[in-house]
Amino acid sequence: MKKLLTAVLIAAIGIGSIFANGQNEKTSQTDSKVTIKVANYALLENGYEEYWKGIKTGFETENPNITIEWVTAPYGEISNQVINMAGGGDKVDCIFAELGWIPGFEDAGLAAPVEDILPQEFIDDFYPDVMKSFEIDGVAYGIPLYVSPYVLYYNRTLFEQAGLDPNTPPTTYEEMLEDAKSLSKLKDSNGNPVYAFGQTTASVPVSGSSIQGMIFNFGGHTLAADGSLDCDNQGFYDAFRMLKELDEKGYNPQNAKLKDLRNLFALGQLAMYYDQSWGFNGIQSINPDAKSFIASAAPLKGGNGNGQSKLESHCFVLVDNGEARADATSKFVQYVISEKGLSDYLANLTPAYPARKSMADISGVVNNPVLKGASGSVSNVTASPAIAQLNDLNLELCSLAQAVTVGNEDVDAAIADFKKVTNAKLSD
Amino acid sequence: MKKGSQKLSDNAYSFVLTIPAVVLTVSFIVVPIIQSIIMSFEKYGVKNIISGKKGTWNNFRNYTKLFETGQIPEAAWHTIVFVIFVIIFQFILGMALALILNRDFKGSRFVRSIMMTPWVVPTVISGLIWMWLFQPQYGFVKYLISFVTNGRVNDLAILNNPSTALGGIAVAALWKQIPLMTLLLLAGLQNVPSDILEAATIDGAGPVKRFFSITIPFMAPVIKIAVSMEIIENFKQFPLFWTMTGGGPNGSTTNFAILSYREAFVSMNLGSGAAVTTIWMILMIIVVGSYQKAFIVQDMS
Repeated sequence: MKKLLTAVLIAAIGIGSIFANGQNEKTSQTDSKVTIKVANYALLENGYEEYWKGIKTGFETENPNITIEWVTAPYGEISNQVINMAGGGDKVDCIFAELGWIPGFEDAGLAAPVEDILPQEFIDDFYPDVMKSFEIDGVAYGIPLYVSPYVLYYNRTLFEQAGLDPNTPPTTYEEMLEDAKSLSKLKDSNGNPVYAFGQTTASVPVSGSSIQGMIFNFGGHTLAADGSLDCDNQGFYDAFRMLKELDEKGYNPQNAKLKDLRNLFALGQLAMYYDQSWGFNGIQSINPDAKSFIASAAPLKGGNGNGQSKLESHCFVLVDNGEARADATSKFVQYVISEKGLSDYLANLTPAYPARKSMADISGVVNNPVLKGASGSVSNVTASPAIAQLNDLNLELCSLAQAVTVGNEDVDAAIADFKKVTNAKLSD
Repeated sequence: MKKGSQKLSDNAYSFVLTIPAVVLTVSFIVVPIIQSIIMSFEKYGVKNIISGKKGTWNNFRNYTKLFETGQIPEAAWHTIVFVIFVIIFQFILGMALALILNRDFKGSRFVRSIMMTPWVVPTVISGLIWMWLFQPQYGFVKYLISFVTNGRVNDLAILNNPSTALGGIAVAALWKQIPLMTLLLLAGLQNVPSDILEAATIDGAGPVKRFFSITIPFMAPVIKIAVSMEIIENFKQFPLFWTMTGGGPNGSTTNFAILSYREAFVSMNLGSGAAVTTIWMILMIIVVGSYQKAFIVQDMS
């Protein structure tokens, strides 16, 4: 009997452990009360938690029948978290995302067209040129909170120390190379050398996206309108020749992530670099005095290009979970992307450009010294075709940049290798 | 109770006791492996996970693409070079430390305890520590090299150079793994019979002869297990590679683990990720199997 009981107990534990956690958590939803799930990595990031908690409190006070349930994971894991939940039948309603994530969510069948969830008059208030970057086959699958091209941040103090006029930053790559000669001779207070110019090239998708921005600066492109690889153009080659030249002259910190560049810039070891406007928050967290020396300028013009850049954005990707939850999600999105919801955020937390016409004149943006220098550049952007393999493309662009810089490879040969690998990856 | 029926009852009881282990092994190891192998022949993306639809046969495309782009040979080379380099240095340094710690000297217990610290540190944290140490602008290693070379080498960037990045990760792996290897070898050393060593000394055998003819053969079982464990550990090394270089620069540290993760969870192509995993698993079985076989031959000889 004792043996039998032991055997039954062991079998029960074994079977129980297999089926444990197998049940789906049901979202509470009654006729009057709705809970929406919002996936948001920013809640785990320094400085943002208070803002998003305030949003939840404010929204729930205005809409007592709607409850927001946060789904959090670190930045690099939030997409997998959302996908794993959806795979288990538990779809979130809204994802705080980046522009580059949209093609993947659309391809996965998660992202719903924004016009299915949001009222048309609300969508019509967004700049049509900005909304183009969110479209796949003419349909928008994301709605921006705010946008930014890759702006040129520069250190006014270092410009002065190098004998340059801090009020006239470079406008072309040639001018930048000229300025770099004197900037690269500087040392910081600890005797460390100062890098003249920073362009991220590390193996992360956002670096590839930034490199695409640089290609647009030179009037080049990477993809054809149908999403196939089309890099046999002067601007594309010129951009990588420039990266090689910057590396050979020691102007660009090698293989750096954006956060490395922010770190160096904050410490006074980098004179200018490309970043999304909200990168300022990272700089300020390292050096609270950053406002005293930072200024922004429009992206540089290179070769035959006119300094166009790539738009980046923090946006909401919406998931259709039925009428009641879609209505609640719509209210939530409209609550956040409003002057009330974003005014303080854009002025004090994340300097960026509003995507809505009605928010163009909010004082926190218009008078923000960090944004002022690059304010005209939002309209000078190129919308790249949205493809499901965008992460692959961006990572291959990083590999190409590394090949011509730290790899010391010839630009033409490296581009030939890049085409071979990328064509195979995009062919799926 | 008759003897025969008692034996039958014991056998049945033993069988029932093994059921949970068998069920768990099949459910969590065998089934996922088979599922992964099937997936490697299919076009299988995130859409399939979310919709619950089965993947579609794609005519070996996952495999042909990986070889077409040269990713598999490159990942195999990086994985094998890393494993060989780390295992050789780990064994030599681990054995040297074990021989030192096997002698009774003042503070040997304290040294043994403190030596285990790197092994206790989580691998991701180890990766971050070494990434900062190697940081090219303000890392400690840069300052150290600059100081040692009297300012002649000021631009050492181990993780940014495609020809040194793998070595940089190997250094971090050695720092992390040598303590365990030392501990295992030390346990083996303490089981070498002292009377045989004394007899050999009386017979005129020197320390080198004693080490290779007595100590090593007696430690063979421990060495075999310790090295097997470390081969597997380094063959599937992911956290150090991911935190320190992410597979770069220019793909110079992309091993099987990184390639598999990138294909499955960055590119969101689970079929391709499964193809990498399948090739990786086969190669690991061949390497570990060959090592085991080589060691048996040595035992017998």
